[in-house]
Amino acid sequence: MTEAAQETKTTSEDWEPKIVAFCCNWCSYAGADLAGTSRIQYPPNARIIRVNCTGRIDPEFILAALDMGADGVLVSGCHPGDCHYTSGNLKMRARWALIKRAVEQAGIDPRRIRLQWASASEAQIFADGVTLLTEQVRKLGPLRGQWR
Amino acid sequence: MTESEEPRIGVFVCHCGHNIAGTVDVERVAKVAATFPHVVFSTDEMFMCSDSGQQLIRDKIKEHGLNRVVVASCSPRMHEPTFRRVVEEGGLNRYLYEQVNLREHVSWCHMHEPEAATEKAIDLVRMSVARAARLESIPVKTVQVTPRALVVGGGIAGLRAALDIADRGFEVVLVEKRPQLGGHVIHWTHMFPADRSGREVVSPMIDEVMDHDLITVYTDSKVTALDGYIGNFDITIKSNKTGEEHKVKVGAVIVATGFEPFKPIGYYAYEDSPDIMTLAELQEMPPSDELLRPSDGKPAKKLAFIGCVGSREPGVKGHEHCSRYCCSAVAKAASDLKDRVDEVVVLYQDVRTYGRGHEEIHRLAREKRVIFSKYNPDERPEVWVKRGKITMRWRDVLADDLLEFKPDILVLASAMVPPEDVEEIAKIFSLTRSSDGFFNPEHIKLAPLTTHTAGIMIAGVAQAAKNASETVVDASGAAAKAAALLARGEVEIESTVASVNPDVCSSCHTCITACPYGAMSIDESHDPPVAHVTEAKCHGCGTCAAGCPSGAITMLHSTDDQILSMVEALLMPAQMSGGEAR
Repeated sequence: MTEAAQETKTTSEDWEPKIVAFCCNWCSYAGADLAGTSRIQYPPNARIIRVNCTGRIDPEFILAALDMGADGVLVSGCHPGDCHYTSGNLKMRARWALIKRAVEQAGIDPRRIRLQWASASEAQIFADGVTLLTEQVRKLGPLRGQWR
Repeated sequence: MTESEEPRIGVFVCHCGHNIAGTVDVERVAKVAATFPHVVFSTDEMFMCSDSGQQLIRDKIKEHGLNRVVVASCSPRMHEPTFRRVVEEGGLNRYLYEQVNLREHVSWCHMHEPEAATEKAIDLVRMSVARAARLESIPVKTVQVTPRALVVGGGIAGLRAALDIADRGFEVVLVEKRPQLGGHVIHWTHMFPADRSGREVVSPMIDEVMDHDLITVYTDSKVTALDGYIGNFDITIKSNKTGEEHKVKVGAVIVATGFEPFKPIGYYAYEDSPDIMTLAELQEMPPSDELLRPSDGKPAKKLAFIGCVGSREPGVKGHEHCSRYCCSAVAKAASDLKDRVDEVVVLYQDVRTYGRGHEEIHRLAREKRVIFSKYNPDERPEVWVKRGKITMRWRDVLADDLLEFKPDILVLASAMVPPEDVEEIAKIFSLTRSSDGFFNPEHIKLAPLTTHTAGIMIAGVAQAAKNASETVVDASGAAAKAAALLARGEVEIESTVASVNPDVCSSCHTCITACPYGAMSIDESHDPPVAHVTEAKCHGCGTCAAGCPSGAITMLHSTDDQILSMVEALLMPAQMSGGEAR
């Protein structure tokens, strides 16, 4: 497929946002499991990558995902105070300000990235977060055409 | 196998009966997966977790010389341990196994979009295949188990668990935050279904615990810190009175921290009269031949109960659950007290006297002419107090009549809710909580007594609202789990820890501030001094690896390369080395 052909494809009507979702194993991954068990239906756009803790997420992972063509990135972890590893999510929260800045400076709309807290019991909150980001990114359009 | 060996990946796509295959085109997923780089075998199968599914993996490892296995089935939180064992039986290191979640994360949440679900499934398998190609075997470590258990909570669950473990010949440390043992049960004057007081039930257990050579009891004390890992927990116990601290080492922990009766403030005029009380407060009234009204000490002639107070309230956080003990407890109290008063009315949503012998109590209450009247949860009974007199008005669902009753005493069957220090307990023992506020078990059906923190069990109401008999069953179960661990002598621990490359470390101390466990330190004996991981303290969160500005820290089984390979496989499939994408 040529570059031009790809361009038309990504901007055409059947374009679907591609979202990379980093979920911590203990809260949000389990919350996503519960969303499935509870048969909560949400957009199929996110692909979950399981990490032990949101503290594991190097800002580089998020930037790399956007660089490689993700239209949005979701980071979902335990609520502050509920981290399985005591404070990894607080480290993520501290990094988030930096990540948002870096994303903005790269000329990417920060609404393409989302940090949320969803516990193992908050299936609906998890699903709602995916829906919200998917819809937000859908409005913003494909990242490929706008950037680089 | 050696790391330099070319990856030979086998992909096994599970139908899970209709659960996955009903939505996802599993045959197509398996077919496409066969074209991914390094995949030398790919198939779909009805149930991968079945004996035949497991055998298939072992056979194909042998037949095709597989050195990596990917199973696309349910959540790894469910069957990762199963398949890790299977690949080990097939001769591979357990960390050369990778699982794709096609059920909880795909088929069950995209049930009406089979095509999009299949696309998602293919993406996820491609991502996991890319990761699998980069997996490395990690030696599995074992440690000695300290043959001693900690039981937190001296209620009926903690007492039973402590006795069961000690009777098997292991030392037990029992910690209770209140000055006396016996929990809530010791205060209750009537237990169902047998006609005995709580004190009669637990007193012999308390005596036995106090006299037991192998049990050390700390009352009026709290566990304030837990360090270490399965088999080797370091516990700090602090006395509430003196502030004195004791340190003990244990191999297993049972959390039996129970509940608190919900104080129904704002419900049914609870605070407006001393004659309106909770079931727990009624249970704690001193026994007497006549039921005496707290306000004036006169004998009560009319008694009423309201069920489901703070229980079964959809949409109210922490109060959606059925508290499970109240229907039987109300039936028992109503039936007993009917002998001492003229009239007893029970307002209920539903009567769920489900336990053995409980239905008989309900029947007895009705035979004694206790009046049961069903109310509609959307139109709750009204209660008001005027000049010290209680009036209640409600619509009886079955007769569709508005009824009124003026009881001398009104008893609210209030919910079981977690104790106020539940958050603190959750934090100390790294437990997660479910929407009712109680602790999550590892798996509701397959592992209801263990938790996601290895070596820590839960028993009784700490897990969910339940009655005393069920609590004791739990306690004995958790004790059996703990004793089995202690008896084993040694246990496998998490091998996926952080590791430092000393050649790259700039000794900036970032990892030391990042680590929540104090597992990172500076090795001064190294020249120049560099960061060092105390593996036994590392829990594998990877926060240090993400924070390290020099990229000197590798988080085993969760390396940058492994994570980024998944991102790349999703977004730039054509770049995947060694094969065509789709």
